[in-house]
Amino acid sequence: MAYLSMGEAHRRITEYLNRFSDAVTSQDGPSLKPLLAVSSNSPHLLSLADSLNIFQDASRLIKQSDKYSQIGDILLPLLRSLQSFRIGRFVDAYIAFEKSSNAFLQEFRNWELAWAMEVVYVIAYEIRVLAERADRELASSGKIPEKLKGAGSFLMKVFGALAGKGPKRVGALYVTCQLFKVYFKLGTVHLCRSVIRSIETARIFDFEEFPIRDKVTYMYYTGRLEVFNENFLAADQKLTYALKHCNPQSEANIRMILKYLVPVKLSIGVLPTKWLLEKYNLVEYTDVVHALKRGDLRLLRHALQEHEDRFLRSGVYLVLEKLELQVYQRLVKKIYIIQKQRDPSKAHQVKLEVIVKALKWLEMDMDVDEVECIMAILIYKNLMKGYFAHKSKVVVLSGGGEMFTFSYSKLLFILAFFALGNKKDNTVPYNMSCESSLLGWEWGCHVGVSKVSPLAGVGMEREAEPVKIVEIYASVPVIMEMFWFSAEG
Amino acid sequence: MWYDYGNYQYPNYPSDSVGTHNSSTAAVTQLQYQPHYQQWENNYSQNASDVSCAPGTENMSVTTISTLNCAVPGISSGYQCYPASGSQPPPPGTTSWRPSSSSSEIHSVQLQQASSAIVDNHDGSWKVGTPGLQTNNLCQMPTSYQQPSDSNLISHETFENQQRTLYPQTANPQYPSAHQAPNPQYSSAHQAPNPQYPSANQASNLQFTTARQAPNLQFPTSHQPPNLQFPIAHQVSQTFQSPSQTGPTLDTRRVSKLQIPTNPRIASTLAFGMPKTEKDTSAPDVASKPAYISVSIPKSNKVSHDAAETTPMTGMFPKSFCAYVARALARCKDDADKVTCQNVLKEMTSKARADGTLFTRNWDIEPLFFIPNTSVDSLNKDNQQSTVIGSSQPKYKKSPSRRGKSRWEPIAEEKLAEKIASVSQHPVKDASWDRLRERGKIALSGKQDVKDCDFSDIKFFPSQQQALPSKNAQKQVKKQRLNNGTNAVENGDASSESDREQGLGAYNSGAIALANSPEERKRRENRSKRFDKGHGHRREIKYFRPKGGIGAGNFHRRTSSPLLNKNYEDGYSRAVEDMDWDSLTVKGTCQEIEKRYLRLTSAPDPTTVRPEEVLEKALLMVQNSQKNYFYKCDQLKSIRQDLTVQRIRNELTVKVYETHARLALEAGDVPEYNQCQSQLKSLYAEGNEGCYMEFSAYNLLCVILHSNNNRDLVASMARLSAEAKKDDAVKHALAVRAAVTSGNYILFFRLYKTAPNLNTCLMDLYVEKMRFEAVRCMSRSYRPTVPVAFVAQVLGFTSNATMEVSEEKDTDGLEECDEWLRAHGASIIVDSNGEKQLDTKVSSSSLYMPEPDDAVAHGDTSLAGESQMALLQFEGKIRLELSNCHQICNTSQDGKLPRGKFKVKRKTRAFLNCVRCGCVCDPNTQLRAVDITDHCSCLLVLVGGIWTTSEI
Repeated sequence: MAYLSMGEAHRRITEYLNRFSDAVTSQDGPSLKPLLAVSSNSPHLLSLADSLNIFQDASRLIKQSDKYSQIGDILLPLLRSLQSFRIGRFVDAYIAFEKSSNAFLQEFRNWELAWAMEVVYVIAYEIRVLAERADRELASSGKIPEKLKGAGSFLMKVFGALAGKGPKRVGALYVTCQLFKVYFKLGTVHLCRSVIRSIETARIFDFEEFPIRDKVTYMYYTGRLEVFNENFLAADQKLTYALKHCNPQSEANIRMILKYLVPVKLSIGVLPTKWLLEKYNLVEYTDVVHALKRGDLRLLRHALQEHEDRFLRSGVYLVLEKLELQVYQRLVKKIYIIQKQRDPSKAHQVKLEVIVKALKWLEMDMDVDEVECIMAILIYKNLMKGYFAHKSKVVVLSGGGEMFTFSYSKLLFILAFFALGNKKDNTVPYNMSCESSLLGWEWGCHVGVSKVSPLAGVGMEREAEPVKIVEIYASVPVIMEMFWFSAEG
Repeated sequence: MWYDYGNYQYPNYPSDSVGTHNSSTAAVTQLQYQPHYQQWENNYSQNASDVSCAPGTENMSVTTISTLNCAVPGISSGYQCYPASGSQPPPPGTTSWRPSSSSSEIHSVQLQQASSAIVDNHDGSWKVGTPGLQTNNLCQMPTSYQQPSDSNLISHETFENQQRTLYPQTANPQYPSAHQAPNPQYSSAHQAPNPQYPSANQASNLQFTTARQAPNLQFPTSHQPPNLQFPIAHQVSQTFQSPSQTGPTLDTRRVSKLQIPTNPRIASTLAFGMPKTEKDTSAPDVASKPAYISVSIPKSNKVSHDAAETTPMTGMFPKSFCAYVARALARCKDDADKVTCQNVLKEMTSKARADGTLFTRNWDIEPLFFIPNTSVDSLNKDNQQSTVIGSSQPKYKKSPSRRGKSRWEPIAEEKLAEKIASVSQHPVKDASWDRLRERGKIALSGKQDVKDCDFSDIKFFPSQQQALPSKNAQKQVKKQRLNNGTNAVENGDASSESDREQGLGAYNSGAIALANSPEERKRRENRSKRFDKGHGHRREIKYFRPKGGIGAGNFHRRTSSPLLNKNYEDGYSRAVEDMDWDSLTVKGTCQEIEKRYLRLTSAPDPTTVRPEEVLEKALLMVQNSQKNYFYKCDQLKSIRQDLTVQRIRNELTVKVYETHARLALEAGDVPEYNQCQSQLKSLYAEGNEGCYMEFSAYNLLCVILHSNNNRDLVASMARLSAEAKKDDAVKHALAVRAAVTSGNYILFFRLYKTAPNLNTCLMDLYVEKMRFEAVRCMSRSYRPTVPVAFVAQVLGFTSNATMEVSEEKDTDGLEECDEWLRAHGASIIVDSNGEKQLDTKVSSSSLYMPEPDDAVAHGDTSLAGESQMALLQFEGKIRLELSNCHQICNTSQDGKLPRGKFKVKRKTRAFLNCVRCGCVCDPNTQLRAVDITDHCSCLLVLVGGIWTTSEI
């Protein structure tokens, strides 16, 4: 640290104080903002902190002038926080900053106008970051890290100050997102619920009114929550929203979103393209996708095992594991197709032993009972149409080309997709297929839609043969719009 | 019924009542343990009697005892009881009660006013009772109404039981003698000096044996024990009940603790203590009584003097009755209540007088709360009859069960009023009550000036009246009752009574004086505060932990304690949580291997804490024990406690927790298991060796099968180390998880059969659900039919047994499966080959999950964890929940506990181990007709048919 004369230190401090108070009096948010960003390491703040170390009696300066003393409650701890942060005492810095923020919040409540929104954002961000650092410091010294929790409750207070009818309400979502981050980090996700409820049900909030970045973040976190609840449809909707609106430049964010969106899509039967996985470095899913395509149980299990740690950490392990049933489905389908080629009249009867043999080839050692059970589950879960004859140990598939069905949720998704494309009426044309690899997703199949009404049980068939575009009803731009990379150019 | 349960429990502590009594009475074989026995008895009796009330009161009593010294009010009351009891036969009774009453001026006044013609032992006992109450009040703050009632009821029961048991043998005239008998026995047994009463001893023995119920028997014995305890208390008592000398140690411990601290402090107490012992010894002998007198200390003299003066006054009303009235009034929340209450009392007294039962009745036992209770009336009648008739009546023996309801029911003023109205003849003067109060006030004011001398019971009395009856008070009441029993024993010695009385008076006064010391007063205040607070929190604070055998309070102080702690100079009275563990970490010296679990309410006493080597043996003993889970659970908990107290956290600790966790799993006691598991987690984390893998497997299974929380599951899976994943048990658990998430029932039941360790037990809890899912799946996907045999095989109905047995067992499994399927709404048809088939198409729409009502009684799946439990707290507001439960489930008549399904109120941990009767419900036994009264525990929880007490 370069030597600073006393006078210089004094000058810098007064300059800071002047800027602060001027910004407050002139209600100049943008210029106040940087003054509070403790962790920003801006040169200005760094030099200020150095000055504070030299000139110890800053409190006297504040008290001297009426101008400062009005906001002394904010300034005094803020200076202390800056000072502590500079010398690496994050716990102290956090404590001081929280004090200062509390005082600021007090003032903020009295301001009718929302000029200080930016400043509140900074505070919400800083308090979280400082708390994280403080917790790290506490943990390393063997104490209980509790500051983040404290930050959480402070943020709730901020949320309370913002959740009103006034113009400040647009800031609520930002604070919410900071809260999400805190809660996810703490593992107390259940606390998110109350905030979500107030965001989604309170009349004062209009979701579209919030800044886009907050909306994306919010959707990302709520989507993750839905993944945990295995509520894939909602998760898909939210994560897709996040993906669609996410800034295409910020690849890290996109990757984070895709990390959850891909398994969700997989479980509703939509496969990502290889290109997508590679571009965003999601190669851990490649094998999973292959396994799904091929009906290769062994590959799926292997892939799961290989990346177990990663999947467990991100929490999608269970989601991926559930894909097993789809792999079985795929396998039976393949057998069916082969049988059909040989003898179409008996193709719908799949003998259990054939399946067992197929699994043997995959080195999956399962006996007849177990396979029988799995077949029963496939039928039970609507992944396959037909029934199982116990006596003859035969799976009897029914319904001609539509015995392999998607679950209802999957259907809804696909129907929504087509309904978007066909704006005239909500019916979906017969035999419509599309190659969706164009869209960044590879359907990997013909989409054969057999019924007219969108909600009637529509069978989707995935063929093993290469996909051919038959028709695309929806105009490409409309469909494209559904996907993230088309959203912002 | 009660008896049944008692029997049932006894397996744990075999032969407790009969055997122990015999032994104690016989005194021949086990001289060494006699002191222990006595202590134990005291404790036990307290427990038994208190148990219900105990949880709250126990703590209180403990504290008071510790602070007060041996002189503890309870004991003093016990002394008083002596004379009183002596007075039971009409002629002696009058004299006897006077001495006792002497302590309390107020009483005397009341008595005078009342001045009823008949002077019975009961009167004496009553009077005695009041002093006890008074002291109690001072010592302790008003707790809950019901608690007192509980204690009263219990004591009442016990007393009745005694009477009943006694009656059969002898007519009324014999009665006194019968009472006497126990005393001689005890004295002889414990001290062995008295050759004089051999015959009496025998008689008592006979009675005891016949009585069969430990609690009842104990009561008479217990009276003396307090006295004896003072001197002897330090020793570790062996369990009275169990021949093996297990449980009671805790009880004794408490007593000893209390005594130990106090004795040194106050010289007077010591002196008193001595007399007491003498008394005990002398008790059998009338001649010996003079000893008391000789003991006199200046204070005590004064008191006795006062007592003598007052005695004539008290003649009017039996003391016990006064106390009774005080109790009744104390319950009143406002003036209106009081008025009604007084009216009721008037009527009662008039009626009683008319009946001639005023003095014969044992007012201590008389249910107060009775007022509310319907059953009380019957009880009263019983009492009256028993007293009046005096002849042995077999029905009485049943009585304990009857009471049950009344105790728990809220005080219904109206009912009382009605009853009373019908009864009333001579109104008792209201003035008497008021006077009592006034006197009490005066006495209180005087108290400050004359700390030592004047302490008569009276002073305390006012406080009692105005404040809610304190737990201690009730407790003491119990003691007094016990004393009454002893008194009865003494009745025979009419001649020596006067001397005795004086001695007693002295003794009492001494105790009281002690109680009045500024120190003590301070403590009492604190206590009172605590209880005030406690009232508000009642629900949160579970006062009651009936488990421990001892009457000593188990009050849980967590909530209220912080304030109090400051006030307490010594660690004894501090709340456990707030203790400075460093200073309190003890090195145990107790050599007993067996020890009952009692929740600590004060600093651990090294003499009752077992050192590590002994604990090791204890663990071995438990592991090799053939006794049931409840016994083991109890023992293990005490081991755990000792470990905690000594801060031993090593492999032994791990072993203990592991053992307990395994046992809990086997018994399906998930809450207890969870406790152990959480401890184990931290123990392993500290680097202690153990069966880490095994328990992480359990943990996984628990999360999978019970918490049903994906996030938790993922988290605990992520936490598994690489080598953990290679472990068989963990692998198995993971496989189970996979089977469950995918719904693969085949895999699940295969894993079920091959489960290592106790994984089966955890899976057990999920079997029902899995089966149901599986059958649903089958009936949806199979067509047209599935053979039932196949279903049975696939769903694990066929016994996992080996192949050879196939024929028989398969049919067994088949039938079971058939039954199960039908119970779940499946349609079963018989095909042409005579084989049963599941008609899948029909079944797919008709399947349902039956209400798990029968499962409840088995502690079965659906109830596992916290899903369904009832918290039955028979006190305060919570008691109301009992009535709710009555509505929810099939109520059994006669105040028996309801059975059925309850909503979860709270997590519970301990199995009910009713200290009183030892009634424990095995998870596999149907809970039927457990009499509430017998479960003195105030907090009973029914978990899947398992009675549990919540530990707090």
